[in-house]
Amino acid sequence: MTLTLLVPLLLLAAACLVVCGPAASEHARAKAAAYPIGAAFLGSIATLYLVTTSGPLSVRFYDLSSIGSFAIPIGFYVDRLSAVMMTLITGVSVIIYTYSTVYMYQDRHARRYLAMICLTDFVLICMVSSANLMMLFLFWQVLSYLLYVLAHNHAHAGTLAGAFKTFTLLRAADTAFLAGIALAYQLYGTLEFLDLFARAADTPVMLSLWPGMEVSGATAVTLLLFVGAMGKSAQFPIHLWLPGSLFAPTPVHALLHAGIINAGGFLINRLAPLFGLSSTTLHVAFLIGTLTAVLGATMMLAQNDIKKTLGFSTIGQMGYMIMECGLGAFSLAVFHLIAHGLFKATVFLNCGNVIHNARQEPHFPHVDHQAEEPGLSRLTWFTGSMTTLVIPLLILLVTHGVLRIPLLEAQGTVIFLFFIWITSSQAILTLTRLRQVASWKVSAAMLMTLLFIVFVYLFAVESFTEFLYPNPEEVASYFRAADIPDWLFDLIIVAATILTVASWAYLYISAHGMTLRMPLWVENLRIRLYLPFMNRLYADELYALIGQTIMRLVHQVDKRERGWSR
Amino acid sequence: MDGALISWLLAGIPLLGGLACLPFRSDPERLKQSAVVWTLVSLASVAGCASQIEMPAEGLLPLYLLPLAATISILGQPVHEQHRHSWVLTLFFLGLGLSALSGAPPIALLSTTLLLALVASLLYRHHSALWPRSWWGIGAYGIGALCAATSAAADAPLSSVTSLVACAVLLPLVPFHDGYLTALTRLPGSLPTFIVVLLPVVGLHQLATTIPTVPDTAAWTVSLFALAGASYGALKALAQSRVRLLLAYGSLSFFSIFWWFAAASRTATPRAALLVGTVGLATGGLMVAWQVVRTRYGDDVDPQAISGLATGMPQYAVLLSLLGLAAMGLPPFGVFAGFMGLLLSPPLPSLVGLFITLLAWLAASWYIMQMVQRLLFGVRRPELRYTDLLRAELASLLIVVLVLLALGLAPSTVFASERIALGAVPIGESSTWNR
Repeated sequence: MTLTLLVPLLLLAAACLVVCGPAASEHARAKAAAYPIGAAFLGSIATLYLVTTSGPLSVRFYDLSSIGSFAIPIGFYVDRLSAVMMTLITGVSVIIYTYSTVYMYQDRHARRYLAMICLTDFVLICMVSSANLMMLFLFWQVLSYLLYVLAHNHAHAGTLAGAFKTFTLLRAADTAFLAGIALAYQLYGTLEFLDLFARAADTPVMLSLWPGMEVSGATAVTLLLFVGAMGKSAQFPIHLWLPGSLFAPTPVHALLHAGIINAGGFLINRLAPLFGLSSTTLHVAFLIGTLTAVLGATMMLAQNDIKKTLGFSTIGQMGYMIMECGLGAFSLAVFHLIAHGLFKATVFLNCGNVIHNARQEPHFPHVDHQAEEPGLSRLTWFTGSMTTLVIPLLILLVTHGVLRIPLLEAQGTVIFLFFIWITSSQAILTLTRLRQVASWKVSAAMLMTLLFIVFVYLFAVESFTEFLYPNPEEVASYFRAADIPDWLFDLIIVAATILTVASWAYLYISAHGMTLRMPLWVENLRIRLYLPFMNRLYADELYALIGQTIMRLVHQVDKRERGWSR
Repeated sequence: MDGALISWLLAGIPLLGGLACLPFRSDPERLKQSAVVWTLVSLASVAGCASQIEMPAEGLLPLYLLPLAATISILGQPVHEQHRHSWVLTLFFLGLGLSALSGAPPIALLSTTLLLALVASLLYRHHSALWPRSWWGIGAYGIGALCAATSAAADAPLSSVTSLVACAVLLPLVPFHDGYLTALTRLPGSLPTFIVVLLPVVGLHQLATTIPTVPDTAAWTVSLFALAGASYGALKALAQSRVRLLLAYGSLSFFSIFWWFAAASRTATPRAALLVGTVGLATGGLMVAWQVVRTRYGDDVDPQAISGLATGMPQYAVLLSLLGLAAMGLPPFGVFAGFMGLLLSPPLPSLVGLFITLLAWLAASWYIMQMVQRLLFGVRRPELRYTDLLRAELASLLIVVLVLLALGLAPSTVFASERIALGAVPIGESSTWNR
């Protein structure tokens, strides 16, 4: 119990250490603050061990049976999900903070910045270990504000505009979240997680939006909460705050992309039993996630700025994560957010150095590299084709025919297999672009990659799911809730497969200098689409236009009304 | 001690303080110090005697807030001979306010009537031909005073309706909000900062006894006006460039949210008092913060011409940011706790109403954040002299922030008994965080 409290308190102590004290010892204090953060990381690992061996930990500073409890119910509930998130956040924080002390050395605002980083970590830890929805929302909102503070620079107009956009968009999503909380409390009379899940499952309620249109209470609540999650996880169409906040120092982005942005996925996982009661919400999540993944990835390809490229890459990845939640694969989403968080933190921390180097050296990155090696050997191509197309097909047939696993009825299993195939194939095909290596090495690397990814996915599917959700029936119920009509599911899988294989074929044929006859209208379409995607589908301009229109209307109303502003 | 005697004592101390300050009229500094001391004595008297008076339906929070708001409003003003009258008047208003909150019904109503009449006369005194709209404000307070007097004399249902109108003038509700806007923009010195807390809490106190007796049709009409007021206030606040008007319309929007809940539940519980009191206090704090800017750059300063205060005035920047967060209803401040307290009071009147109130809540983060950002950030102007907070200003703003923080975290039973804190919540649904 003490350990659970110690983790956030250590982060708070680190923030105090950075802020309080004379200017002369500022750098020394900043460096010393890394130790409490490191201790918090060790505390998180110990908490994870404790939770794994002894079950969830619970600390409440309020009394459910008394009216005399605090206004804001502060309490901690640490289960495996919370402990995993705590370990991820503190682990990434140690790296980011240590990096930042050097990166921001002698910066005028270094103290404020480092203190804010510690405070953000504290808020994140409190959020992921909240004992109830109310406390989670409290820290969720504080996080919105901290993001605004971290993302802005006092004197830079573009940064200020971006920070303001970040704050208002996140607040809009927070409002939906708040509505969800109010509705949940009205319908079920509690915001305690376990009680809420139990009551929602036991007492199905129908809400009448207007005559003839009814929606279940669980659907209404989860849809509203999902909008809240969409905001933090930058889902289309509330994703604009993420590219808008890219002026901030790169370590902020490392923290943002590794920790803060995962809040949406965490929220859905925390409320998985509630989301599992509403197929509609899961389908909406699937749709929004798919749309965000496709648009995010496409816009990423058309960006010409390293931070924006990474930003849209994150949006795409968050889309995948939400899509996984929409498919009922909650544990996979957590696995994904951990992997993505670690990866993106590394990339962003490196990205700062790349930008600095590019500023010092105009020709960086160097363009005088050797031309691509002509063609690949038959062995490489053979191994590539085998591993990407034939082996997965064989596995599928064996599973279906020999092991008698009813694949066609288990959409969740198909989705896992599909992800394994896509990821491993993509990695393998990326390897084929390696230059100056012998073919047998590439082939071996392909096979190793296939095995590695297959095992990692199997680990994610089996071990991690079992770790986070020990009850298999619970996992199965999420998959059942997320089931979509078979014809639609088959259509999506077949279309995605054809599109993926066709894209690979096109890319690699083009990359190796071979001509591919494409209809003219396809070529024209590709060129025409490039500009809008490079300009992020003009969504910023659209939002600005909506904002201006609203303000114009507000001023018109203000002028017409014989009020005090005349 | 007898309840009536305590009421006289509570009201008498600030009134006596007002009289005791008069000999220092020629020395503004001593006058200000003396006024602050009397407000603190008043606060101590409230703390000492509050437990012995009959617990009102809305709890004791308003009683504590009044002397605190008076202290803050006087402390936040610069020492200047122009503010002398406003400090003394603040003490008189405090006495009347405490009398209205703690006195027996006839005395309370009489105090309310006097209060409204005094505000109307002050507005008349400070009326300018450049502000013809202030006639509406004077008229609104005149009607309010008349209604308060009538409600004391008449029988039901006339007394209920007139009392409701008086409440709508005190605790602004569209279309009786003109008085509130005039008071906040036209009254001199420390008075607007105090009035923004005083009148709403007095209105809330009166409403707590009136709202259960109001006919259904009137309650339904109030609920419609409340929703209209929440949207109207937010819309108007979005269009304002003048800070006091922005704050006035913003707080009108939040008070309308309270009216909507009150009309639906027919009660004014301690959680309602928390929302009303903290909205008033946060608005008062922002007005003190704006006064800091006016003290440095002139009374007619254009907020658009000020920027970059964050680098030159770091203490001011931190406190203004925190006040902004509190005023827009972010946790962990009292406005958020009060708003959540009402949102989590079963049953919710309607989903459409919930949607409108949440939009009003959301709009606050737009106009308040825009105002704060405009003042604090942006380019540092070489032509401006940046002087950070003086001791009294710092104390004033710090007290507001700390009180708002404490009210956001404190349990409701600090200011009300468990029975009263439960309010109208049905038994069995009272277990979780009902304030």
